[in-house]
Amino acid sequence: MLLGIDVGGTYTDAVLIKDKVILAQGKSTTTHGEVLKGILAVLDKVLENQPVETIERVVISSTIVTNALTEGKTSPVDLIVMPGPGMNIKTSFPIEPQIITGYVDHRGKITAPAGTKEVQVKEKNVAISGKFSVRNPENEHLLANTIKEKAEKIFLGSELSGELNFIRRTNSAYYSATVADTFDDFCKHIENSLKERNITAPVQILKADGGTLPITAIQKQPVDSIFTGPAASVLGIMALTPPKVNCISFDVGGTTTDIAFWENGKPLLAKNGASINGYPTAARAFHMRSVGIGGDSIIRKESGGFTVGPERFGPSMAVGGTKPALADALVVLKLVDYGNYDKACEALKQFADANETVEEVAKKVLEVALVTIEKVIAEMLYEWSIQPVYTVDDVVKGTEFVPSEIIGVGGGATGLIDALGDRLNLSTSIPTGGMVANAIGAALAKPTLSASLRADTTEGFYIIPESDIHERIPSGFGLAKATDILEKELDKKCAELGISKQKAEVIASEYFHTMHSYYEVGEIIYLRMQLQPGILFPIEGREVVF
Amino acid sequence: MKNLGLVFFPAFDWLISPGHPEREERLLYTRDQLVEEGIFDLPCIKEYRPRLAEICDLQRAHIGVPNIGKLITPAHLTSAGGCLVAADAVMKGETKKAFALVRPPGHHAMRVVHGIRGFCTINIEAIMVEYLRSAYGVKRIAVIDTDVHHGDGSEDVFYHDPNTLYISFHQDGRTLYPGTGFVEEAGTPGAWGTNINLPLLPSTGDEGLHRLYDNLIARILDEFKPDIIVNSAGQDNHFSDPLASMNVTAQGYASLNKKINADIAVLEGGYSVEGALPYVNTGIILAMAGLDYSQVLEPDRSDLRHQDKRCNERVDELVTQVGRLWDERDITREKLLKACGNTFSRKKNIYYDEEGIREQQIETIHYCNDCEGYMSIKTDATNTRFGSQNAYIIVLHRGICPKCRQVAYDKALQAKKGRQAQYVLVQDIETGIIEEL
Ligand SMILES: [Zn+2]
Ligand SMILES: [Zn+2]
Repeated sequence: MLLGIDVGGTYTDAVLIKDKVILAQGKSTTTHGEVLKGILAVLDKVLENQPVETIERVVISSTIVTNALTEGKTSPVDLIVMPGPGMNIKTSFPIEPQIITGYVDHRGKITAPAGTKEVQVKEKNVAISGKFSVRNPENEHLLANTIKEKAEKIFLGSELSGELNFIRRTNSAYYSATVADTFDDFCKHIENSLKERNITAPVQILKADGGTLPITAIQKQPVDSIFTGPAASVLGIMALTPPKVNCISFDVGGTTTDIAFWENGKPLLAKNGASINGYPTAARAFHMRSVGIGGDSIIRKESGGFTVGPERFGPSMAVGGTKPALADALVVLKLVDYGNYDKACEALKQFADANETVEEVAKKVLEVALVTIEKVIAEMLYEWSIQPVYTVDDVVKGTEFVPSEIIGVGGGATGLIDALGDRLNLSTSIPTGGMVANAIGAALAKPTLSASLRADTTEGFYIIPESDIHERIPSGFGLAKATDILEKELDKKCAELGISKQKAEVIASEYFHTMHSYYEVGEIIYLRMQLQPGILFPIEGREVVF
Repeated sequence: MKNLGLVFFPAFDWLISPGHPEREERLLYTRDQLVEEGIFDLPCIKEYRPRLAEICDLQRAHIGVPNIGKLITPAHLTSAGGCLVAADAVMKGETKKAFALVRPPGHHAMRVVHGIRGFCTINIEAIMVEYLRSAYGVKRIAVIDTDVHHGDGSEDVFYHDPNTLYISFHQDGRTLYPGTGFVEEAGTPGAWGTNINLPLLPSTGDEGLHRLYDNLIARILDEFKPDIIVNSAGQDNHFSDPLASMNVTAQGYASLNKKINADIAVLEGGYSVEGALPYVNTGIILAMAGLDYSQVLEPDRSDLRHQDKRCNERVDELVTQVGRLWDERDITREKLLKACGNTFSRKKNIYYDEEGIREQQIETIHYCNDCEGYMSIKTDATNTRFGSQNAYIIVLHRGICPKCRQVAYDKALQAKKGRQAQYVLVQDIETGIIEEL
């Protein structure tokens, strides 16, 4: 039995899944500032009369990191950086960094050792980051060792991401350090509450990349569990009706619509990490956008015309709310069938000019919502189309994303999909979805892990920065051998973390013959592998009625 | 508007031949540095991907024999296309400046192309300059070439064009490929003084370079009053470059770039792929984006030497000599035009080092009082990949008057009738259409 919990902005949902069937589902209101309270409420609903001892795994997708940042439940951090020569980075991070000597060049050679004597630690939480530390983390480790008596929680850039981008790694380390206390607290409470309910199954946390990790692992990188709502939504779609063609999905919730792109049945991952408060991080996510348009988005009439959202003031008037919302317009146009039709008409009547019918008002409102969504889809297509290409082959072939279908999920999707399909000239489909798709997505999410290997044969070493491995290159080394080594390393990590072994896929690889002078020849191999995000199995039926 | 449009295209799958300096990983370490610095995430920089240039874009600057399509690979269309994207970004007002950090390079490719010379097949700056004119009507363009080699290809294409100022400083041709680029090569009579060569002594460093810029180049650029400034941003003046013997640093390049204040920069040579390119490119990008580049330093400066004391003396000589040439350009032009009458011919022997091609060329400019006139070129090449080949070419300049057009066509038809050449070609610079008669 699998338990999935999704903490959304409005509701907290939970599902219990057994043998590909949904056994139980529940909903509670998300209490602002008290995420845990909502979780416990929904937990007790779902677990009623269930054999909790047969639960094999619990996965939580929560807003805890997002909330910690927006509500200021953060801890002060000492941010220690070793940028070496290069860009001026004084204002590149959310706080002013302590700049220390120490530099590693692009080949991983230490050209200046870490200035261990310069470090001053005032706070319990510390983030340490050095340029090119993924090519050689020694300087970061040296600093961490120097301060380990003074600091409690230390986050290293090289441990947060194995990829190049000093600024993103540093921001990831900083945000992890600043939310660490709140996050650890949350984890402790979750584990205790589950124990109190006799649940001994391992607990995993969903990440923005759609994968899960055990609590102990995610505590080393809490920033990666930010923005998991959209990821859960994508996984939910995968579980309920996996798209087969290249398509765009849009999931219309109460306050937002989550848009994702799918290629060959898989959601596309963004090429870069997510940004937090405008600061780019290394936290991976799907190529998704959340638009502030949902069923409960408030309708306003201003001098320039109608606006829809992004705020929500409770439910729409058709279902007992006090302010007109997008769902009311959909009800008036008979695009969706729920709530009270007359109440919905009444909601829109206040906007009607003389001689204008409520249908005409509703159409205008719908138009605004559609234009907003369409604009975001166009931006996403553009973003995908301008992603850098580094080979002639890619330029000639092109890497554009060409969707052939648009699929809608969530309460308001039926009301928007036909018009959206017309506008984008795409065929449409609406899978019979669940109201708790996000929780289903969380419950079924597979663990993800990634690691990279870089070998420079002239140096004679290969490195796997995620595991702090720096080894001599064995004989008969090549791309195949490198893949083999990295695969084994990922297997080993799975075993360490207690997650089931899965086939890792190569997500990036580069191979170069190099010449360091006219006669000295070498090779550079770069490889990145990942346990891809996905679901354990699709849902085939349900015992509860939606 | 963003400060800088950046077209980064390292062509990781393109090389001239194994072991050649123009090989796949030339920009690998630069890519690593730029990504690691977080350059592509900077809010003041907008990244663009290159597009494929069209054949007609190439043919505004080049006449390929037998045709340009047979001489290039998609890589060339991509690096030329990268320059066009950079030009569009600036001209459409999307970004203040743009940098096409692309390869393959182009500044040794001349107007007539039989094959590869000095790592170049097509001249990506020249193609961009002609595009700026055809697509946006830009008139006066200054190209400043900061590569260590004399950009003999760019000189060849711009040599007769009084509206393009071409300035190249480089290691003296007596000590380095391609062996040209002397002060006396100042343009044909109608364009005298708009081709400025500044040969520097080996070992010249930041000091000499800036002395030259501050005391001479700045003034010439200013007085030419260009609508657009292009920087052919070669980086082989760097102290660690394996092909040349200069002493310029990343700081020297970045601060020079800031002074030049180019609208569009295009990467040219630079073969110290590990020790220079990552830092010089970072420096140039930051300078163009208006950011602080003062901390961009090579971690390894063991090869950096102080410039020889004669370097500044050479610089001072150039300041005087070329300064005078520049100041007297109008009088000289008038004198030369009067002396040559309606036509001016020059003979060229061109060697294509990559392929061992030898080309003999006679280029004749036909002046007209009503228009820019036209050009006729006889070219004869041996040892090309198509064997020996020759062509008679007519080049129709922009805004050519009907009378000149008629005369030029008649010449081409005559050549065809008299079987004077294997190929008789008529190039229309404005459209980039080449007609084979
Ligand atoms: Zn060069
Ligand atoms: Zn004329």
